[in-house]
Amino acid sequence: MSAVVTTQLAERRSSLLVTVLAFAAPVIFVLVPLAIFLVYSFFSVDQGTIVYAPTLGNYVRFFTDPIFLPVFWNTIVLCVSVAVICILLAYPAAYFLTTLRGRWRYALLMLLLVPLLMSYVIKIYAIRSILGLNGFLNKALVAIGILQQPSTLFVFNMNAILLTLSLLLIPFAILPIFLSLERIPQTLLRASDDLGASGLQTFLRITLPLSLPGVASAASFVFVLAIGDFLTPQMVGGTSGFTFGRILYSQFGTAYNWPFGAALSVALAIVVICAILIGERFGRSRGTSV
Amino acid sequence: MGLKKAFLKLATIGLGIGLMTSAALAANLRVLAWDGYADPDWVKDFTAATGIGVDVVFIGSDDEIWAKIKGSEGQDFDVFAVNTAQLQRYIKADLVSPIDITKLPNQKEVLSRFRDLSQVSGDTKDGKVYGIPFCFDSIGLIYDTDKVKPAPTSMSVLWDPAYKGKVLAYDNGEHNFSFTALTLGYKDPFNLNAEQMAAVKAKLVELKRNVLSFYTTADEAQQIYQNNDVALIWANYGQQQVKALQKIGAHVAYVNPSEGALAWLDNWVISKGVRDNAAAEKWIDFMLTKKVSGELSERTGFGNTVVESSSAGSNDKLVWLNNVEDPLKRSDMWNEIKATP
Repeated sequence: MSAVVTTQLAERRSSLLVTVLAFAAPVIFVLVPLAIFLVYSFFSVDQGTIVYAPTLGNYVRFFTDPIFLPVFWNTIVLCVSVAVICILLAYPAAYFLTTLRGRWRYALLMLLLVPLLMSYVIKIYAIRSILGLNGFLNKALVAIGILQQPSTLFVFNMNAILLTLSLLLIPFAILPIFLSLERIPQTLLRASDDLGASGLQTFLRITLPLSLPGVASAASFVFVLAIGDFLTPQMVGGTSGFTFGRILYSQFGTAYNWPFGAALSVALAIVVICAILIGERFGRSRGTSV
Repeated sequence: MGLKKAFLKLATIGLGIGLMTSAALAANLRVLAWDGYADPDWVKDFTAATGIGVDVVFIGSDDEIWAKIKGSEGQDFDVFAVNTAQLQRYIKADLVSPIDITKLPNQKEVLSRFRDLSQVSGDTKDGKVYGIPFCFDSIGLIYDTDKVKPAPTSMSVLWDPAYKGKVLAYDNGEHNFSFTALTLGYKDPFNLNAEQMAAVKAKLVELKRNVLSFYTTADEAQQIYQNNDVALIWANYGQQQVKALQKIGAHVAYVNPSEGALAWLDNWVISKGVRDNAAAEKWIDFMLTKKVSGELSERTGFGNTVVESSSAGSNDKLVWLNNVEDPLKRSDMWNEIKATP
């Protein structure tokens, strides 16, 4: 009898321990660092050392200094464009995948996701050589006669960032769109066909609306990843492609102004959280109505 | 279950190795240096000669040294390398110990211009020596000999519209303000007044319009050079960068501008938390031997303080980097310049 009680107790205790651990991990590794960040954004810096007296100065500066808001806004526009490009390219690819049968479908999907296995930096380096003046893109365009001579249009400017980020992030758009397309019951499509709808009608009135949750989460994925990136703009942005990520990065490296960097990160985090919430909300409300 | 056991075993082994190495570290001299300053063969020779084991940690930027030394209040390292411009900041923060140069017999044998340390800007404070210079280089101009004719003599060539979109500059506000100030003819490029700052800023916005991109690492500059039409590179990495470019077959040459080339001078310093002062002194003295200094120049292309080398000869006008009036201000203004459309 007592043996049973002790094992029960031990079980309860271990389950309690598991619960505590399950909660402790996100608290310690996610919430606490975020809180520290938030607190730091209210400090200031004097002569290279951090002054631990609360101030709103960093936020005032963010809103009043003429350089931050325009760069912030341009970066948001850039990242929305990246998301749109990614979806326009990823949707047909994902749709094509769902029309395939059996193992081909997944083999091809894996192939499209293979670039994610490679190092991010190596991919940027590779894309930069492709876009360069002596790069593949320019050589190809000159060879087929579209350009008279190599153009600097593709590298070290905003176009370059747009192209590079879109290329790097397409896999993140394909996957959610593919999953939402795959979940659409074939019976619905057949029913639509039976009722005399054309292929286009079926696509516009059944497939597209039902896949929108996937599109929404793809868009928020791509947007969030793009806006947090500083390396791509740093490496292909040149002199005109200046983004918020680059300003943020400079606050931690050369400027040694962590509090201001933290305040800029908070501004970025708010945009990111909004993007995730919008993606989530849009995705869910459509999803549950099926 | 088997997996869990295996995992536990692995973790235990890992922990064991971790403990063993930290035990080994306890007795060794802890050196923090840039790549090229503490090559394995020198460390081996040093240990053979003195019986002192050495653990070297390499760093990649000035900010990283500051973070490591300041982060542990100097307790994590015995000796480290830092340039004269940075050193004053460490002295002010009480992170370094004064050095007794009578314990460094080789310091008497160095090149005459480095012998009297009170004459080397930034190495002393209140009559005490805090840094022993051992290595230097200029931040000059690399030009493509096929594309840039005649050979440039001044940094002002970077603004030449003939090379629009063919210039590679370095992504660092502090240095860019300093060299532009020299180009504009200002006496003290490290202490600019508000009016000079504004003039330099306007000049840098102009520079930006001539520049293809701002690079950060030497490798990056090299890759951009290979894939694009680059004629001029502002060479933050000096001779090291020239050597690397020539190795890949680039037709490039290096020049120290006539208005004065910024130059850095790296020093060995002893941290506040040094465990064995005598061992640290022996390390510094060892680095000042003719053999090690000579090899350092051979391998990196940098100048050294012991034997004359080809880098930044005595004919070149060198302007040793110094503390700037307000690093934060320069960095903010550099962001403004980059944000200017």
